Amino acid sequence: MLNALASLFLPGLGQFLAGRRTRGLALFGVIAVMLGLIIWAVTPAVGGAEADITFKGNPANWRWLIVPTLLWLWNIWDAASPRPVLIPVIAALIMFYVMGWQATEIDLEALAKNFDRALIILRPMFRPDFLQPKADRLEAWVELEVPCSPTPPAGANTLVGTSLSLSAGCASVGETLTLTAGGLWPDSDAELVWQSPIGDFFALREPGTTQPVITRTDSTGRLATRFVVPKAIPPGIDPNLPQNQRLYVRQSKVTGGYELSTNGFFVLKGIYETIALALMATTLGTLFAIPISFLAARNLMSANALTLGMYVVVRTLLNIVRSIESLIIAIVFVVIVGLGPFAGMLALALHTIAALAKLYSEVIEGIDPGPIEAIRATGATWLQVARYGVVPQIVPPFTAFTIYRWDINVRASTIIGFVGGGGIGFFLVQWINLGDFRAVSASFIAILVVVMAMDVFSARVRERLI
Amino acid sequence: MLEVQHLHKVYPNGTVALTDVNFTVNDGEFLVIIGLSGSGKSTLLRCINRLIDPTAGKILWDGVDVTTAPAGELRRIRRQIGMVFQQFNLVKRSSVLTNVLAGRLGYANPYLSLLGIWPPAERERAQRALTRVGIADKAASRADALSGGQQQRVGIARALMQEPKLILADEPVASLDPVLAHSILQYLEQLNREEKITVICSLHFLDLVHRYATRVVALKDGQVVFTGLPQEIDRARFKEIYGEEAIEVRAGMAES
Ligand SMILES: Nc1ncnc2c1ncn2[C@@H]1O[C@H](COP(=O)(O)OP(=O)(O)OP(=O)(O)O)[C@@H](O)[C@H]1O
Ligand SMILES: [Mg+2]
Repeated sequence: MLNALASLFLPGLGQFLAGRRTRGLALFGVIAVMLGLIIWAVTPAVGGAEADITFKGNPANWRWLIVPTLLWLWNIWDAASPRPVLIPVIAALIMFYVMGWQATEIDLEALAKNFDRALIILRPMFRPDFLQPKADRLEAWVELEVPCSPTPPAGANTLVGTSLSLSAGCASVGETLTLTAGGLWPDSDAELVWQSPIGDFFALREPGTTQPVITRTDSTGRLATRFVVPKAIPPGIDPNLPQNQRLYVRQSKVTGGYELSTNGFFVLKGIYETIALALMATTLGTLFAIPISFLAARNLMSANALTLGMYVVVRTLLNIVRSIESLIIAIVFVVIVGLGPFAGMLALALHTIAALAKLYSEVIEGIDPGPIEAIRATGATWLQVARYGVVPQIVPPFTAFTIYRWDINVRASTIIGFVGGGGIGFFLVQWINLGDFRAVSASFIAILVVVMAMDVFSARVRERLI
Repeated sequence: MLEVQHLHKVYPNGTVALTDVNFTVNDGEFLVIIGLSGSGKSTLLRCINRLIDPTAGKILWDGVDVTTAPAGELRRIRRQIGMVFQQFNLVKRSSVLTNVLAGRLGYANPYLSLLGIWPPAERERAQRALTRVGIADKAASRADALSGGQQQRVGIARALMQEPKLILADEPVASLDPVLAHSILQYLEQLNREEKITVICSLHFLDLVHRYATRVVALKDGQVVFTGLPQEIDRARFKEIYGEEAIEVRAGMAES
């Protein structure tokens, strides 16, 4: 009864006095945290970031007091005579989950509401930009100045076999000019493409529509068309400064079959870089991990205080490095060696060293001393004992772990490019920023294929080895 | 002939495992060492081929002191002494043949053996050793794919590869059932009788001791408390070796 009274004043005190210390402390802790959370929840938010937490400052949050109150009562009951702990645990969990739900701002409506936005991204993703129909291409261009300066260019250009001329060598944005061309392929479509002063290409559109300007040549390969000078000066550059820009005429003739598109080529390059990067990182990591693993093996290092100290230091270092995400290590290396696959390779290699050294050292710790003793007893030399007693015990698991790690490194290196560490991720993040979702989906597919292939390969090999 | 003189072993942690052990083993004997768990049987056997360095005392193998032999000499002594273990001590991931061939390392060309290359003559020798213990068909299996009894036969085949003059067997049948125990001990007995290989074997069950031993050495707390013929171990001796409360248990099926 005295214990119940104690718990009435301070939750858990009665249990603590009765010798059930863990339960007493736990009760006190849980009730204290609950009350703290409720007070935090009803305090109105101040300042920027906190104001985003939607449930802050809502007086209705006081209703949560019910849970700690019930728990307090249960605590008194429990102090009087010990009760099973299941019900208060469930009550506490419910409260923490509901508060957690609010804190993560779960908004199921947003998932459905913005579905049309997702479609804009998803639709091009069904047409991955990897292959394009094989075609012969013909291209011609002519330079013009926007807006006019006192000495505009000629407005005509003759290339091998083709000639382009404009009704004027310069114009202002929005003016209509006439283009006449000769020497093109007869009776076929030609596309007009603009090149801005900084080198970007974009298709000319019919004014007021999203239709590209497409004209047809006559039977002699000539073409005459009017077009509107587009606004191609990027923001930040004085639009009144005369700049040379180009008008391209492009024709293509499908010749059957498929070829890699430009982006397809970059996908291949990126994925190749990714696999190579992972391979190099794994190799480098393995080379360093093997000697380090011997230092991290307790059975080899417990001979005296000095080696035991080394063991502790090595183990601690490995644990620290292993707990840092390789993406973060990559950021550091990007700063040191610059953007590109080398930075990513170093980051992965460092992480690989830590991870493999730990796995290897566990293999070494698990070595069966029996066969070693048996082989020593045959009169074998030290090297023979290592070759016949130790190597067969460690090489297969070492190899299995290494291949598994290569598999992990391929996955990791697909995203390490996001922070500038090279490989497919480097291209991927740029395509995402440019909104080129056809290229994005091509790289997704490439990543998927490679990761799955690695997965199957590594599983097969490991099955053989273990 | 093997002479053990004033042998002492104190482990680095201070455990006194052997105290002033003296005995002699003549060529062709089947000597069985008995004693309670922890009495020092394994320690004694391992001192003989110096898998463990004794603290003091001498072990003379055909007149040569094992305890002071330099490395090369020690390896030449070891290769004449085959060893069989309770836990078989095979390399589990290696093939049976490789495990047996390893018994020949003391004779093999050091460089070729490191590359895993064995002359055909040695492979045939290994195959013969496996035939001898009745598992010729298992040569290509992985060692851990075999049953306990089969693994111990591989262990004996490995010892046979050494063309040993002496076989040390540390509780070779303690992890096997009684039927298998007899079949393994019969192989050792056959080698002892037909090839005149001296056998020193530690055993737990007294009925096995009576059946196979030509002479017995009993250890208690690291000291020799009895040396003599197996039939001399009567009730009083038994209590002396194993303590007052001990009751004899049999491995059984002595004539199976
Ligand atoms: N490596 C070691 N370090 C320290 N003490 C050891 C070591 N090996 C054995 N001992 C101790 O030495 C004593 C003798 O051990 P040993 O293994 O020789 O006994 P045993 O007669 O073979 O016992 P069992 O029948 O259980 O195999 C025991 O007290 C044991 O605890
Ligand atoms: Mg033992």
